[in-house]
Amino acid sequence: MRVVLKTRPRVKPKIPIEAEEIIPQNFLRKNDMKVFEGNKERALDDLFFVTVEGPAVSPDQVEVILTGDTGVVKRVGEYMNAGRIIVEGDIGMHCGNFMSAGEIIIRGNADAWLGREMRGGRILCEGDAGHYCAAGYRGEKRGMRGGTIEVKGNTGDFTAEYLSGGEVLIHGSTGDLPGVEMRGGTLWIGGGCSRPCGNMTGGTCMVFGEVKSMLPTFIRSGLQDMEFQGEKHQMRVYLGDVANRGKGTLLTRN
Amino acid sequence: MAGLHIKNAFVIDPLSGVKGEIMDISIRDGKIVEDAPPGAEIIDAAGCLTLPGGIDSHSHVCGTKVNFGRYMSPEDMRAGRTARKGVMHVTSGYSVPTTFGNSYRYSTMGYTTILEGAMAPLEARHTHEEFTATPHQDMLANTLFDGNWSIMEAVKEKDDKRAAAVVAWTLSAVKGFAIKLTNPGGTEAWGWGEDMSSIHDQVPNFGVTPAEIISTMIRANELLHLPHSVHLHCNNLGVPGNYRTTLETIDLVPDLNKDRQSLYLTHAQFHSYGGTTWRDICSKSEEIARAVNNKPQVVMDMGQILFGRTTTMTADGPMEFKLYMLHHNKWSNHDVELETGSGIIPVYYGRKSLVNCVMWSIGLELALLTKNPWQCLLSTDSPNGAPFVKYPEIIALLMSRKFRDSERKMIDPRTEHLVPLFALDREMDWYEIAVMTRAAQAKALGITRIGKGQLSPGAEADVAIYPLRPDEIDPSADYQQVMAGFSRTLFTIKRGRVVARDGVVVVEGANSTIWTKANVPPAYDMGADPEFTRKFEQYYTVRMSNYPVQDVYLPRGVRIETEASL
Repeated sequence: MRVVLKTRPRVKPKIPIEAEEIIPQNFLRKNDMKVFEGNKERALDDLFFVTVEGPAVSPDQVEVILTGDTGVVKRVGEYMNAGRIIVEGDIGMHCGNFMSAGEIIIRGNADAWLGREMRGGRILCEGDAGHYCAAGYRGEKRGMRGGTIEVKGNTGDFTAEYLSGGEVLIHGSTGDLPGVEMRGGTLWIGGGCSRPCGNMTGGTCMVFGEVKSMLPTFIRSGLQDMEFQGEKHQMRVYLGDVANRGKGTLLTRN
Repeated sequence: MAGLHIKNAFVIDPLSGVKGEIMDISIRDGKIVEDAPPGAEIIDAAGCLTLPGGIDSHSHVCGTKVNFGRYMSPEDMRAGRTARKGVMHVTSGYSVPTTFGNSYRYSTMGYTTILEGAMAPLEARHTHEEFTATPHQDMLANTLFDGNWSIMEAVKEKDDKRAAAVVAWTLSAVKGFAIKLTNPGGTEAWGWGEDMSSIHDQVPNFGVTPAEIISTMIRANELLHLPHSVHLHCNNLGVPGNYRTTLETIDLVPDLNKDRQSLYLTHAQFHSYGGTTWRDICSKSEEIARAVNNKPQVVMDMGQILFGRTTTMTADGPMEFKLYMLHHNKWSNHDVELETGSGIIPVYYGRKSLVNCVMWSIGLELALLTKNPWQCLLSTDSPNGAPFVKYPEIIALLMSRKFRDSERKMIDPRTEHLVPLFALDREMDWYEIAVMTRAAQAKALGITRIGKGQLSPGAEADVAIYPLRPDEIDPSADYQQVMAGFSRTLFTIKRGRVVARDGVVVVEGANSTIWTKANVPPAYDMGADPEFTRKFEQYYTVRMSNYPVQDVYLPRGVRIETEASL
């Protein structure tokens, strides 16, 4: 089944839409999906032109395509556990919260909190992602626990904060403090970053660009050769963060 | 106000000696009366269990440390979210919910009175502000005196009367209800970077021992004739082998009051551990229960833990530090100048943890082994053992051996070698549950005199009607039904008004705050005592005139006055 959701023109197009019900499994079961526009509850039909093509017997066979002015649509794919969502443009905050399986492909940019506390599945963002990409949420000590997130562009600050499992691959640069409080999983950063991996206790982070303001609480422990996107790099290996008895590994380009 | 007439109620009212009779209850102007006024609204209880409104004699729902628990645990606020609906405010949170969340959840469980377990005198204003935002329950505040410098100086001089005078002044200044001692001396020692391991260790810089503080405060409490006894959180909470400290403490207690206990031991479960380390911890509930059975002047509450996530918060700063060293998670520690301290950490009690399974068993054993239900009250020390919303589960566990056996299969199999729980056959009946959840609380807190915890004419019209028909349900087999029934009343009536119906709150609520004022002779008025005033101005960062809580903080204060014999 292919579901196409195209945003309808709105009088006030900047009011955010909270659409946690937009997940593939809901299109099999539910007829009366609700979304919030600001603090007003609306039917899905009020805000989107909905086109459904073809049958499906399981959520795996459902593909949801979002087009139009989707940059203000938040929480798409929250608790998603099967199927696929393709966003033709940008997507708002909290896309793929807690998702456990399935796939989200974003052709444009993603706003903050992309794939927060994700459990499994795959997210591909072809543009940039905002702050807190693949992070945990306020107060939660375990962030993303499984699955993969790939961002072709850059990301903001606190990328992969509290990462505790799964794989995060950023082709571009990240902002400040990527991998802070990491406790597991793998973080690849193709470009540069600043102050990576503060307070990390586990996991592996690799930075192939320039690292600004390297934290002093990491111990040098040799060199290692690695390959990233077809290029060979010699990497410095650091262990830490020793300030918190951490046993993580941080690799930066020599 | 027109009255209310409840007919066909299956009433259990232990304080009036009603042990389960079908009868009618009439209410007028917020009081129980003999005959309903004409035009009274009629509620047909249809044989359902009808009890006086529930009373929680130890819970942490309001005050600075609860609020700090909220700051610290934003993840807790993801749970329990309800939208605004009718008169209900938005609520959120599970172990440390918003104040309205607390109030509504207690209300739908039939609770109408709550005692806040620990209020630091210096921070009393905030506690009272949160009391007014907990609108469905009458609130009382235990006031902390465990590390109070003036008290410790009076203890050192062996001057019971001066200690009593300080208590009287402080309680009336901060609008507190009773004396709370949390790890007496220990929190103060911790402020100086030291730790105490027995009630006979000396508090650094003061030259007094916890045993002396406890004994003096028990005597001072009776000199003031306060409604409640000293409310004690023993030393060495949560330390394996601490049952000896608890037994020593129980031995200290004289019998000074014929109407109620002389000492209230709170969350006894946390104080009944045998062994020497966490690796060989075992249950010593039998020893503690035997000591309490032999001492009618002691009342305790269970402090039951239940498996799941919660937040611990206590004025016992050192103990929270030890817990932090185990978990290495978030931790908050706080010192209240010249008075006390506190600590907060989130915890998870798991069925896979042997220590947690032993703790879980001990609480139930204490309740089942204490012969007199008036001496062991139901509590979780909410939220330390579990959030109060889990009380129905404890009730079901106490009423059903079958439920305990089904839980036994879920927990660590080594537990049964360390605890006597699974050898206990006792199953509590409705009457005992009624005692343990309201009547004994009212008696222990000394608030029967203002009409709490009973349904006889003249009493406050706080009534809870549960959707349970005692003649049809066998609680030992239908424990699920018992749990569901106690979770959600058909009607909760507070001061003659229906406040919650079928789990839905129907009115805004307007609670009162109950506090005590002990009238002392002028010679013992600490407000005019030159020595006390000088030290206050010298050591506190606030002026003495700014310290008392103004009446505006208690929009509906209820004052219990006593005449001190000083």
